[in-house]
Amino acid sequence: MLVSAAGPGPALAPRAPSAALLRVRGPWCRRGGRLCSPAVCSRRGSRARRCPAMLALLLCFSPPRSSKEEEQLQPEAGSSNGQENKPSPKELEELELLNRALEKVLKVRKSILKTPLEAQGATGEKSAGEGPAPKNAEKQQVPVPVEDVPMSTKVRAVSKRPASLKKPSPYQLKAPYRTDPEVKKLQRKALSRCVSRGPRTAGKSSSKGVVCKQRRSPTRAVSASDREVCAPAEPQKAPGSSRSALNAQQSFSIEDSVGEKNSVAAGRQLLDAGKKSCGFLGESSKKENPTAEGALGRSTSPRRVTLQEKGCQLKLPLPYRKAYFRNSRAWERCRLCQTSADAAAARNRFIERIQTTFCSPRPAFSPAEVEEELKVLQDVLSLLSQYMEAEFADHPTLQREYESLLTLEGLQTTVSQCLRKLQLLQAGVEAQRRLHPDCAVDGGSCFPACVPSRGQMCDTAGMLAVPLLCYSSFQELRDLFALKLQVSMLHQEIALQKVMMAELLPVLEAWPCPEASAVQLYRAVYTQLCEGGKRFPVLMRDELAD
Amino acid sequence: MRRRQQQQQQQRQQQQQQQQQQRRGRSLSGAVGALCRALPPRARPAPDTLRCARFDRPQASLDFWRLLYALLKQIHGRKWTESDAIDNQIRFVKAALWYYGYDRPELYRLPSDGSAGSRELLLAFSWLLHRISLLEQLLARNRVKTGDETSVCTCEDGLPNSLKGTTEKAPEHGLEGGVDVRYLQWLNGRLRFQWRSLHAQHEEQCKLLHKIHLFTSGSHVDQILGHFSVTETDLVRQPENYKQLLQLLESETMQLEAFLEWKQLEPVYWQWMETVLDNMAEEGNTCESQDARVEGSGLPKVASCCPWADSLTGQIDKLSRDLTTLREQLHKLTTRRKAAWCEKVKTREEELQKEGFSATARKIQESVELKLLDLTYLCAPPQKRMHGSHRLVFRNKHPASKMGFGRSVSKEPVSAVSATEVIRELQMTEASLERELKQLQEECRQRLDEVAEGLDGVICISP
Repeated sequence: MLVSAAGPGPALAPRAPSAALLRVRGPWCRRGGRLCSPAVCSRRGSRARRCPAMLALLLCFSPPRSSKEEEQLQPEAGSSNGQENKPSPKELEELELLNRALEKVLKVRKSILKTPLEAQGATGEKSAGEGPAPKNAEKQQVPVPVEDVPMSTKVRAVSKRPASLKKPSPYQLKAPYRTDPEVKKLQRKALSRCVSRGPRTAGKSSSKGVVCKQRRSPTRAVSASDREVCAPAEPQKAPGSSRSALNAQQSFSIEDSVGEKNSVAAGRQLLDAGKKSCGFLGESSKKENPTAEGALGRSTSPRRVTLQEKGCQLKLPLPYRKAYFRNSRAWERCRLCQTSADAAAARNRFIERIQTTFCSPRPAFSPAEVEEELKVLQDVLSLLSQYMEAEFADHPTLQREYESLLTLEGLQTTVSQCLRKLQLLQAGVEAQRRLHPDCAVDGGSCFPACVPSRGQMCDTAGMLAVPLLCYSSFQELRDLFALKLQVSMLHQEIALQKVMMAELLPVLEAWPCPEASAVQLYRAVYTQLCEGGKRFPVLMRDELAD
Repeated sequence: MRRRQQQQQQQRQQQQQQQQQQRRGRSLSGAVGALCRALPPRARPAPDTLRCARFDRPQASLDFWRLLYALLKQIHGRKWTESDAIDNQIRFVKAALWYYGYDRPELYRLPSDGSAGSRELLLAFSWLLHRISLLEQLLARNRVKTGDETSVCTCEDGLPNSLKGTTEKAPEHGLEGGVDVRYLQWLNGRLRFQWRSLHAQHEEQCKLLHKIHLFTSGSHVDQILGHFSVTETDLVRQPENYKQLLQLLESETMQLEAFLEWKQLEPVYWQWMETVLDNMAEEGNTCESQDARVEGSGLPKVASCCPWADSLTGQIDKLSRDLTTLREQLHKLTTRRKAAWCEKVKTREEELQKEGFSATARKIQESVELKLLDLTYLCAPPQKRMHGSHRLVFRNKHPASKMGFGRSVSKEPVSAVSATEVIRELQMTEASLERELKQLQEECRQRLDEVAEGLDGVICISP
């Protein structure tokens, strides 16, 4: 008889006694939180901030003499953390104009695509396009998917948490219209590009929307809802500006919540993200220029030029160019400058003399050198393992086999060399331990992780050269970024794994009397520790059928 | 007559000496001034501090400690707070000097309120100048970034060190009543979701970055770069926002020029430092007898705990365990293969001799040696690894295209790292980290299996 099936954790509220058993003592969550928050959040924040800025550059590259309204285009999505203002009639008017613009856009789009999403989105959009009255409907519709999201994510969450999610208040024109001028400008420009962009991008965005909609898994839900929210108001994938801006906001709201370990706050934040995104999009029609014609009129004017068109003719402003030139020439001179013989001789004399005053006998390795050698040995070890694994395969010819034999013998010598070196290093560590100044500094804070090796420090010219990282294709750049993230993520996972092992395993192993509900705990811990929280084991009751 | 000549000669000599001294004095102050100006603006001493330190004036000690603290913290790249108490700063500086191998006991005996020892600090500072190429490192680290920067190493990612502190403190903050394990599951899910959205954002940023690079190709005055970065593109649009950048560039240029000046006057500085040592040697002779007694109870005391040594011993142990397992595996494999080989060869010995196998054998030997040369090269440092943040530059591989341009490989004053190398290294790191994670998971599985046996009447089937 199956006790429990594989799948997301028990969403049923367990009874009180077994609930107690499911508790795990320990401060791990604090530690885990410490591990999670800085790494992820700082990255998200900085990335989120930069995307919209880059978009602005790409989209609307007007010459600098254009109006002051272009100033402060760096959207500070962080500052947008929700001030709910009541929209003024003027804003409503502008929203109406936006809706009309959207109508036009949608007509173009509809004529090309016949996907199911379009129908769905179109209903939302159409309602948006039908003037002020259905505006409420649009906004009503929009928060609904957002509502679903917290629910679905909650399915996996602790259901017996006392505080429950607040239902979002209906959007009776109380949408939190953001009055950030920067964000408005971004969206306005995005919109202006919208109109002139071809329907091709429309196709892309909607198909993406389809994909998202169809995969209603909890973890995807939020991003899906983002796109849905996107869809009604921003049908074109004006280079993902809205989405990225959304991400920006969303990331900030989630960022805030990472600090808190409270699920409730998180759910609410997701909601707020949705709300904000609504307001954000509604915002997009605002014109900060009170004298211009309609938003529509502006958006169709072809005054803005994209970076794509003007990019290769751009010139840096003169003062910057001069400063840059001087700077790079100075760097070059410094790089080529060599230590004169006199200086080198005098310096070496001084160093020798001062080193005679060091306590003798001097240890063979300084702590920095020990760490460096250790890193080298670790690299050698991984290389050795790779070579060895290559030799596991069977070799067809006699020559290959001979070669493999020789290789293996060579590897063996290297391993012995490494082991000998390790012994030397250990002796060095012990020597340093004796010399350790009586200043108990926390190991982590003092000793640098990213310091050039001794060899690099001798190569001062190399240090002063311009450090460039050259990539040759978009794919490469993407792989680079993805891999870096992956490595960071793995570091974090390993650290978390160690922490959890240290905390959870002793609890289970010291179990005095296993009960029925201990099984649930076992299953949860098993999943967490052995499957990375992704897959669940099946627990079967071992009963013989009578 | 002769006496007058001698007198004249003496006078001339004296004059010459005076002139030399004046010149040296001027060039010394020039050297010290240049040195101070070549240091980063946040940690720039007054030349007077160094001069006072040379005469061991106690009032310069505090400033010197702070100076060393600021400089070393910049190198270590971590956040530094000026508000750190002086004894923390002193401890940090002492630990850092020890780390780099500065074994002069007098420094470590200096009081931790910073009241004395400026001369010792001056010596330590000069030693650091050479040992870790302090000036060059600082210049390189504080380089004004006008481009799209990304780091090529993942050194900062290894968290375990910083974790150690928390594991020790954590048990005190035990949560009352424990925590529900489903909360853990939920947190884990949320973390994974955040990673995913971070991935998405990175992709987004990637795409936009590439576009900007692509579209502005050919615009940069600097041929090596070829295209604008985001900052520079924005600079074209709104120059008024970037006044600070310009100022930074200017001040960096001045710093670099000071560095060049310093390089010219370096010999004077080192000679001056030798005089400091001379003075100390003279003084030392007079109070050597005192020191001898103090020395006994001085530096080589067995430190009660040295976290660094413990952590490194741990790493060394792990590495030696891994190497020993590898050695055993190799041994097994080799013996097996050897046996098989001997079997094969026994029967065909004559045949092989006819084929001239020995010649082929020698060739194979050479090729294997070459192959293993990589390893021996690795074992012998120094090894160049890429570190720190680099500027992203898009270089189209097809020079025929309009936007690409031919790479002038000849005299590139750049340390250009190619993305393919970095990607390869990252892939290797990723693979090894995944192996480590799988190992840990396997260990957990085994331990949990043991626990499962304790659970009555339940069988666990892993997915």
